[in-house]
Amino acid sequence: MFYRENGQFKTSYRADQQIFPITQDRWAVLALIGFAAIGVPLLADDYLKSAILVPFLILSLAALGVNILVGYCGQISLGSGGFMAVGAYAAYNTFVRIDGMPLIVALLSGGFFATLVGIVFGVPSLRVKGLYLAVATLAAQFFCDWAFLRVSWFTNNSSSGSVAVSNLSFLGWGINTPTSKYLFCLGFLVVFALMAKNLVRGAIGREWMAIRDMDVAAAVIGIRPMYAKLTAFAVSSFIVGVAGGLWGFVYLGSWEPAAFSVDRSFQLLFMVIIGGLGSIMGSFFGAGFIVVLPIVLNRFLPALGSLVGVDISTAGISHAETMIFGALIVWFLIVEPHGLARLWSIGKQKMRLWPFPH
Amino acid sequence: MSGSTIESAMAAGKAGAGPEATRPATGPVAPLPGGKLIGDVILDVKNISLSFGGVKALTDISFDVREREIRAIIGPNGAGKSSMLNCINGVYTPQQGRISFKGQTFSHMNSRQVASMGIARTFQNLALFKGMSVIDNIMTGRNMRIKSNLFLQALRIGPAEREETAHREFVEKIIDFLEIQAFRKTAVGKLPYGLQKRVDLGRALAMEPQVLLLDEPMAGMNLEEKQDMSRFVLDINDEFGTTVVLIEHDMGVVMDISDRVVVLDYGKKIGDGTPDEVRNNPDVISAYLGTSH
Amino acid sequence: MGFFLETLLGGLMAGMLYSLVALGFVLIYKASGVFNFAQGAMVLFAALAMARFAEWIPQWIGIDNRIIANLLAFLIAGAIMFVVAWLIERLVLRHLVNQEGATLLMATLGISYFLDGAGQSIFGSASYKIDIGMPKDPVMVLQDVFPGGLLINKEDLYAALIAALLVASLSLFFQKTSTGRALRAVADDHQAAQSIGIPLNRIWVIVWCVAGLTALVAGMIWGSKLGVQFSLTTVALRALPVVILGGLTSVPGAILGGLIIGVGEKLSEVFLGPYVGGGIEIWFAYVLALIVLMVRPQGLFGEKIIDRV
Repeated sequence: MFYRENGQFKTSYRADQQIFPITQDRWAVLALIGFAAIGVPLLADDYLKSAILVPFLILSLAALGVNILVGYCGQISLGSGGFMAVGAYAAYNTFVRIDGMPLIVALLSGGFFATLVGIVFGVPSLRVKGLYLAVATLAAQFFCDWAFLRVSWFTNNSSSGSVAVSNLSFLGWGINTPTSKYLFCLGFLVVFALMAKNLVRGAIGREWMAIRDMDVAAAVIGIRPMYAKLTAFAVSSFIVGVAGGLWGFVYLGSWEPAAFSVDRSFQLLFMVIIGGLGSIMGSFFGAGFIVVLPIVLNRFLPALGSLVGVDISTAGISHAETMIFGALIVWFLIVEPHGLARLWSIGKQKMRLWPFPH
Repeated sequence: MSGSTIESAMAAGKAGAGPEATRPATGPVAPLPGGKLIGDVILDVKNISLSFGGVKALTDISFDVREREIRAIIGPNGAGKSSMLNCINGVYTPQQGRISFKGQTFSHMNSRQVASMGIARTFQNLALFKGMSVIDNIMTGRNMRIKSNLFLQALRIGPAEREETAHREFVEKIIDFLEIQAFRKTAVGKLPYGLQKRVDLGRALAMEPQVLLLDEPMAGMNLEEKQDMSRFVLDINDEFGTTVVLIEHDMGVVMDISDRVVVLDYGKKIGDGTPDEVRNNPDVISAYLGTSH
Repeated sequence: MGFFLETLLGGLMAGMLYSLVALGFVLIYKASGVFNFAQGAMVLFAALAMARFAEWIPQWIGIDNRIIANLLAFLIAGAIMFVVAWLIERLVLRHLVNQEGATLLMATLGISYFLDGAGQSIFGSASYKIDIGMPKDPVMVLQDVFPGGLLINKEDLYAALIAALLVASLSLFFQKTSTGRALRAVADDHQAAQSIGIPLNRIWVIVWCVAGLTALVAGMIWGSKLGVQFSLTTVALRALPVVILGGLTSVPGAILGGLIIGVGEKLSEVFLGPYVGGGIEIWFAYVLALIVLMVRPQGLFGEKIIDRV
């Protein structure tokens, strides 16, 4: 019944190729961005903004990067935490060592260095696939862990091993309140999401998906496997690196290498799988799910426990969280391996046909 | 071994405008009006031998393919026909022999180089990109010609957008030609087998090849689908002047649409010539042709 | 020279322990094509079970004999691992039969998180001891060859012996028993094995049980050496490059890979470490596996992967 495309005919290929060909979708997304930019800062309280929305935005950006590599190009990567770390520490060094360095340039330079590291550790993808590649990317993760822990130049010779940034500003406006932090991250996310969407619907996106689906046939068509795989690593690491910079600068303020450990890599991979591989929207869904889940569990588990007369300690809650998390992952993979994005499009499909079942 | 009279006649006529060859008017496919000009040798396979470990897939195979002709490769199962195409295409590297294409000789072909020089192919097992739509699958065939770099594509302004639209127009022409307009946005994995084969063909056509290698294009099709596919092959050959090398099991199709035939058996060549000559060759008959169509 | 040999021997011993964990990975992968990321969590779970039951049994039954308590604890822990294996097959594997590798990998990752949380909820999250009577004192050997002799940790020696025993009995199991034959058949070709009547589901339960038992032995030895605590799960992450180095489908590869990595880690830490700031153990194994992969993508003993179009 809700057949949104009704009456909308395209008269040019250009119109047919746009990101949101259906008018309602276009309006809906513009309204959403407008609400996010104007409504949310007015309506949300500081806790919501700084503890939930800011991490959600930054992790969505990181999940976007990981999705490009894992979802669109089919290269399993367990090293995303390491790339975030490279982004954060490179941005830190440019920011701190060069006087008068604008914040945006520092963050982008973090992405740039992450790209270099990503390309280097992406070279194994030309030789191995699947599980072997996953292990190769873990090498990147652990190497980065060690480098930022032991090589003191990276931490500006900090004695405690952790680094901190302050006095962030963008074009004169300070990035120090929850609202300003939120808007800053939102801006990055919108710009990068748009560029990512353009990439995946263009020629390079098709090359990535061809490599994912059948890389032997891809070479026969004239696609260069090396170029496709390395660009996937490069673009993905750039986005993940910038996200890492944002995570350290805007969300944490001060951090240690442990903030970007292998657990972070697993977390990003879970986001992408639960959200939907090969889907820009899926990255947002996955990030939202993973960010919100611990908070929901934290709120409701003690209450649930007291209902059955079980007193759950804080340690108990965190163990229960881990258990529920693991069980949910397995459940998701069994029920809908293509993630929330697939459930979303199935839902829209059903809305088209409603009230008919099929 | 056979066909020497026809070939010498062709060679004698090469100095002039090239001989005319007409198609036998039998079988379910209607003959094309007039004749067609078959040109010089465009692809020359010389003494190719290929083995996998101890298994000899191809032994000393030599044949040539002339421009604008339709050359069929036939033979019983396991004769090495797909391996031969894979050698031409660069997927396998033969241990011995050389392949000449457009005057240049190679001892082994590099897939991507071959693709850029103008050879495209379809696959026996389709090898389509199951996750993408029909349009996107055929668009991948245009990737070689897309010039915008990564940055322009990310911004998708001006030249990048125009290039994408221009390629989309070309792909739509192919979709019209193959009559699959209704399915252009469907994911290929959901299409029935016959339509998937058309998408495979479309993807090869998108590369604007001079030589088209078709690996069993009619496999698994019923009579109507075979007629459609035969019509497409003939139209491609006629309208675009594409040279076609096809592997096919259906003798009716082979006899009707091909200009010359190569017969393989157990990796060796046992026949080479026009369909009529091959049909009457006793070696071929004993190896392969049981019932006629 | 003496110091070098000592480090070498220490590395071999440590490597043996890696091999134990890697063995579990290879077993499951060989028989079902599933890469079990949860192996480390299984090691921890089994070790926790054994440690706690060894504590609880004397309290419950009042037996004072440590050997009997340990034996009972071992048996109970083994039974628990059997239940875990059965549950994993029933609840997870059965539903994911035809999915691609990445999905299965993620599923085992989910299982590992679940086992982590469950183990610590049920058995507690403090650090526990496993005391199976391993001698903790070192011994000096070859005192006449090298001045001062070589220091060998007796505990490591016993651990290596136990590991060798385990590998030998597993080999016997695979080669000589009919179940072992069935397992090898399943590893070779699922469909063919089914067509001659081998029950696939039961085979998988058996495989996971054997892997669970391997995890228990590994957990017992590691726990006795290091104490049973959460950091044991990182052992699994250390065993991954061992599996990759040796080749995913090769049992001798797992053993050899473990020894190579063990030796490599120790030697590089002692001789290379001081120049680069130390602590290179966390990435040495991985980078070594990476380099080997570039040269030989299937690992040292693995089967070559051929792509057909």
